[in-house]
Amino acid sequence: MSSEGHPALAVPPDRAWINRRGWFFVVAVIIAVLPLVFQDSYWRTNLIVCALNVMLAIGLDFILGYAGQLNLGHSAFYGIGAYASTLLIMKLGVPFWMAFVSAMALSSAAGMALSIFAVRLRGHYLAIASLGFAVIVHQVLLNWISLTQGPLGIYAIKPPPDIALPGVPVISFAGTGNMFYLVAGFALLFYLLLDQLVRSPIGEALTAIREDEVSAASFGINCTAWKVFAFGVGSALAGAAGAFYASFVGTLVPDAFIITESFTILAMVIVGGMGTLIGPVWGAILLTILPELLRGFGDLRLVLYGAALTLVVLFMPGGIVQAVQMLRARLGRLPIATHAGTRQ
Amino acid sequence: MLTVALQQGINGIVVGSLYVLVALGLTLIYGVLVQINFAHADVVTIGAFAAYFFTFVFGGNYLVSIGIALMVGAALGWLVNAAIFAPLRERGSELLPLIATIGVSILLQNAMLLWFGPIPYAFDSPYSNKVMRLWGGTFITWQNLIIILVSTLTIALLYAFMKFTFMGKALRAVAQDRETAGLMGINPNQLIMLTFVIASALAGMGGAMLGPILVLTPFAGTSVIVKAFAIVIIGGFGNVEGTIIAGLAVGLIESFTTQLVNPGLTDLVVFTLLLLMLAFRPTGLIAEKREENV
Repeated sequence: MSSEGHPALAVPPDRAWINRRGWFFVVAVIIAVLPLVFQDSYWRTNLIVCALNVMLAIGLDFILGYAGQLNLGHSAFYGIGAYASTLLIMKLGVPFWMAFVSAMALSSAAGMALSIFAVRLRGHYLAIASLGFAVIVHQVLLNWISLTQGPLGIYAIKPPPDIALPGVPVISFAGTGNMFYLVAGFALLFYLLLDQLVRSPIGEALTAIREDEVSAASFGINCTAWKVFAFGVGSALAGAAGAFYASFVGTLVPDAFIITESFTILAMVIVGGMGTLIGPVWGAILLTILPELLRGFGDLRLVLYGAALTLVVLFMPGGIVQAVQMLRARLGRLPIATHAGTRQ
Repeated sequence: MLTVALQQGINGIVVGSLYVLVALGLTLIYGVLVQINFAHADVVTIGAFAAYFFTFVFGGNYLVSIGIALMVGAALGWLVNAAIFAPLRERGSELLPLIATIGVSILLQNAMLLWFGPIPYAFDSPYSNKVMRLWGGTFITWQNLIIILVSTLTIALLYAFMKFTFMGKALRAVAQDRETAGLMGINPNQLIMLTFVIASALAGMGGAMLGPILVLTPFAGTSVIVKAFAIVIIGGFGNVEGTIIAGLAVGLIESFTTQLVNPGLTDLVVFTLLLLMLAFRPTGLIAEKREENV
C-alpha cells in the first residue's frame, strides 16, 4: 500500500504536545456542551450512536490502517461484546462494569484467536476468513436459542448502574444526556490511548508491517505477535462499544451484527482516512449525521454510503484527512505531508 | 431412507451447480487479476431481477430470460471493470479494489432497494410444477433439470474455451504471468476485460436460475456470494477444477445439513469448513503447482 494513502497531520514537533493537549481539552469541552445544545432525545440518540461509531471506527482503523490487516469481521467483535456483557449481567448477575471489562476481554480474545488462526493468511485470504468468522458469529447468535433467544432477541436490558459520589447528586444513565457523556468520554479515552500507542515504537512497528512485512521481519520485528496485538486492541474497543450499545438501546437482536455492519464501519474508516486516527473520527461523525440529515430522502441516504466509499477509494484514498490537507496546502498554510510522519 | 438420501443428493447437486456458476466467476477474476470483486453478488441479484421482469412483467419465456440475464451480467461486468478495477490497477494496491467494490455493492443494493422495495418477489418458475419421475421414488422438477443441463453445458463450454481456443490459452497465459504474456503480443487489458465479461455473465445467468430458489430481495446476492467465497477458498483460489468440486460439495453439504440436522445451521457448517480449510490447507483442495513470484 503506498504511503500517499496515509498522510499524517503535519505538526511542528516542538509544539506538538502542547497543541495536542489543547485539542483534547477543546474536544472535552465540545463533548460537555453538545447535550446542552441538543436537548431532544432524537438528536441525543444520534450523538450517542456517533460516539459508538467513533469507538468502532478507531478500533478497526488500528487493525486496518496501522497494521494493514483487512478485517471484515468487526461486526462480530461488536456483537460478541454486546451479547457477552448482556448475558453476564442477565444470566449470572455480574455487575455492569465487571461485565463491561469481561466483554472487552472476550471480544479481544476472539480477535486474537482469529488473527492467530489467520496468521499465515494475508490480504484477501484474511479478508474472507474474517468475513467467514462474522457469518459464523451471526449464525451462532441466531441459532443458539437457549442462550441468546435467537431472532426473538433479548429485551429490557438495563442501562449502566447509577454512580453515587459523595457531595454530588446521583448520576443516572437512564437519560440520554449522561449516557452520551459516558460513551463519548470512553471514546475520547480510547482515542487518547490509541494516540499514545501509534506514536510509540509500537505504532512504528505496526506501520512497518503494513508497508512491507518481509522488511519488517528483517529488522527483528515479530510480525505475528504485533498483528495479534493489533487485532486484540481493535476488537477490545469493538467489545466496549458492544457493551455500551446493549445497555443504551436496551434490546439485542442478532441482525444488529450482520456483516453489512462491518462494511458500514469500514466505510467510516476509509471515508475519514485510514492510517490516521483523526480520520475515522470524522468519517464516523459524517457518516452517522449526514444520513440523518438526509432522512427526508428515504433510502437514498444508504446509496450515499456506497457512493462515498467508492468515490473516496477511487479519487481520494486518504479520505477527509487528505482532502483537508490539500485544502490547507492550497490556502498556503501548511505543506502537504507526503510520507507518514514527515514533512516536505 | 435411501430415497430421501438420493432426493437430497439431487437437490444438493442442483444448488451446488448454481454455486459453481457464481464461484467460477470469482475464481476466474482472481486467477487473472488476483483481485476480489465484491460486486459479483449484485450481478447475481440483478441477473435474477432481469429474469424476473422479463418473464413476469414483459411476459417472456423463462428460458430466454436466462439468456437475457447472461447479457445483463456481461454488461455489468464490463462496467465494473471499466469503472473500478481498470483505474485502480496502476496503484497496485491489494485491498483498495476490494474496498471499492464493497462500496459499489452497498450502492447497487440500496439503489435496488429504492426501485424494487424490500418485499421479496415471488419468482415461481413456470417449470417448477412439472415433475419427472426417476428411479426409486425420487423425482426432479423440470426447473431443476434445466438448471443442471444449462450449468453443465455452460461449464463444459467454458472449460473447452479455456483449454482449446487461442483466447482461452491467452487468458491462462495472462493469469500465469501478465508481463510475459504482454511481451508475447497479448493485450492483457483486453483479456482482463474479457474475463470480467465472462465471469459476470456466469453470475447473471446463475442469478436467473437462483431466482426461484432464493428469497428474491435486493440483498439476495450477498448470501450467495459469501458462500461462493467459501467455495473458491475451499477449492483453491484461481483453480477451476477445485471450484467445481467444492461448489458441488457445498451444495450437497447444505442439502444434507438441512435434511439431517437443522436448516438454520447450513451456513454455520459451510463456514466452519471454510475456516478449517484456511487453517490446515489454505491452498485449497487441489494445490496449485505454481511458483510463487515474490
